[in-house]
Amino acid sequence: MIEKITINNLLPEVFGDERDTECIRRSDVWLRHLSFEKPLSYMVFAESGTGKSSLCAFLYGSRRDYEGTILFDGNDVRGYNAEKWSQLRRAALAYLPQQLSLFPELTAIDNVLLKNRLTDYYSEADIRRMFEQLSVDHRADTVAGRLSIGQQQRVAIVRALAQPFDFLLLDEPVSHLDARNNDIVAQMITSHAESRHASVIATSVGNHLSIDSNKILRL
Amino acid sequence: MILHNPVSRLLGKNISVGQLAGYSIANFVGLAILLTALQFYRDTTAADNAADDSFVSADYMILSKHVSDLNTFQGKSSGFSDGDIAELRAKPWVEDLGVFTPSRFHVNGAVDFGGRGMSTHLFFESIPDEFFDVKPEGWGYNPSDSTAVVPIVISRDYLALYNFGFAASRGLPQLSEQIVGSVPLRLSLSGNGKRVVRTGKIVGFSSRLNTIAVPETFMNWANAEFGDSTEAAEVSRLIIRTDDPGNPEIARYFDENGIEVSGEKLNQGRAAYFLSIVSAVVIAIGLVICALAFFILMLSISLLLQKNKDKIHDLLMLGYTPRQVAGYYYRLVAVLNGALLVLALVVFVVASHLWKGLFGSLGLSTTGCGVTMLAGFGLMALVTAVNMMAIRRNVKRNFYK
Repeated sequence: MIEKITINNLLPEVFGDERDTECIRRSDVWLRHLSFEKPLSYMVFAESGTGKSSLCAFLYGSRRDYEGTILFDGNDVRGYNAEKWSQLRRAALAYLPQQLSLFPELTAIDNVLLKNRLTDYYSEADIRRMFEQLSVDHRADTVAGRLSIGQQQRVAIVRALAQPFDFLLLDEPVSHLDARNNDIVAQMITSHAESRHASVIATSVGNHLSIDSNKILRL
Repeated sequence: MILHNPVSRLLGKNISVGQLAGYSIANFVGLAILLTALQFYRDTTAADNAADDSFVSADYMILSKHVSDLNTFQGKSSGFSDGDIAELRAKPWVEDLGVFTPSRFHVNGAVDFGGRGMSTHLFFESIPDEFFDVKPEGWGYNPSDSTAVVPIVISRDYLALYNFGFAASRGLPQLSEQIVGSVPLRLSLSGNGKRVVRTGKIVGFSSRLNTIAVPETFMNWANAEFGDSTEAAEVSRLIIRTDDPGNPEIARYFDENGIEVSGEKLNQGRAAYFLSIVSAVVIAIGLVICALAFFILMLSISLLLQKNKDKIHDLLMLGYTPRQVAGYYYRLVAVLNGALLVLALVVFVVASHLWKGLFGSLGLSTTGCGVTMLAGFGLMALVTAVNMMAIRRNVKRNFYK
């Protein structure tokens, strides 16, 4: 549904006064013309406070406080209504937010099923198998609020994958994982993206997702 | 389904049972008062019988000139001149005006009660048909048919006077309307040197007309046949229809012109006016309570949505549409308001049945409940629609952070 995401002169509104600073001038993203194309993978490196979560939120349509334009296959997303975004979020855009946004009162499996019932992409058994691959299967029926942050991150990754997508936005996907789990997650993400011929856009401040990215950008 | 659906489980969090109960009680009370008062108003003004028999529909007044001592001694009659009638007709509160035509011939009525005969002198009056509150079957008269029955409508007061005054004190049997209607009257009409006998029958009782009324066709024929043509046709009584019986202007005009209103219709008009004001006040109170309850619900819902703001936002982030999220709250409001409406409908229907019996024993008819039900339904539909709009707006606001 989306082949190419283009950004033109994009800048968060809060950075409006900082357009001439060193930080913005050095950026590969802000105030540049840039395209993300299927099925390439992108790694966006950023220092804290340079707006990586903002970039994800802009691309995912949950925030609009930016200047410049974002085009999905040439269409300005500012014209999209809530209904259109909801449709894209079920079929074309997957997103792992940095704050994970699991519902603490629901079990791990219910959190994923909550997404999956919209897309009907996997069976419950499939989801449990993915939990198993990420070593959280023993926690599937525990409420998310009682999981460790690393376990929550893995559950949230499974939830992000429980849908068809053209672009997978990962905001610091492995910030709370050790090297072994990082590799497992990276493997899973790569194989899921490949099977969908999809593009991955991952951000990172420190702990990088160990995938082979086609392009590395500095925010 | 509610329990197993994780969306309902999430959105149902933070629902304040206390607030919803408060709203339910307040709205139920308000709506019940409103609908009951509305039904009472409709019954007392009885839309479908305002044209005939309702005790507060004093839309008709019978007018006569004040009879003073002077009239009596000078033998001068107290009638309405053509000028008087024209002036009355021109008044804004007079919708229609009819003239009573009195009989100008002698009438003697006789009844046969199982061999015991009774006879009395009678008089008749007639008015145009549209002023009758009763439309008995067989109303009308064909003068060429000498066997035709003369239909008569008498004042209901006359029967009451007989039943509760005369019969009670003399030990005579009380008569129902049916019995009176079944007794044939032998009418002998005379004048102008002629005399005929006709059969009359009381076919109806009027609460509006304090007279013995016959069809105009009969009156015209009989007056022409037996009436004293040298006697000027004088109008001594009028009937008017007014849309505003409580208007103080009417009373003032009558006072100034020495016009009397029979049967205290003016007071009844004021009673009707007063009753309609009381009903309106009660309806207004019901509306105010409903409005307050409505605001409680609006506040409660916006508080609930505010508390669940993050959950709503996160669901929308997962790809749930605002309509799916709002749908949960729509159902909540619709079920709640629907239940309240049903309860309030039950209350007003039961209440109206209680006074229907009372009204019935007073000989007054009431109206159906359909219009009031429709009003209740309409009001709740409106309230629910406004609630839903507020929910939709509130949910949409959570779409963007």
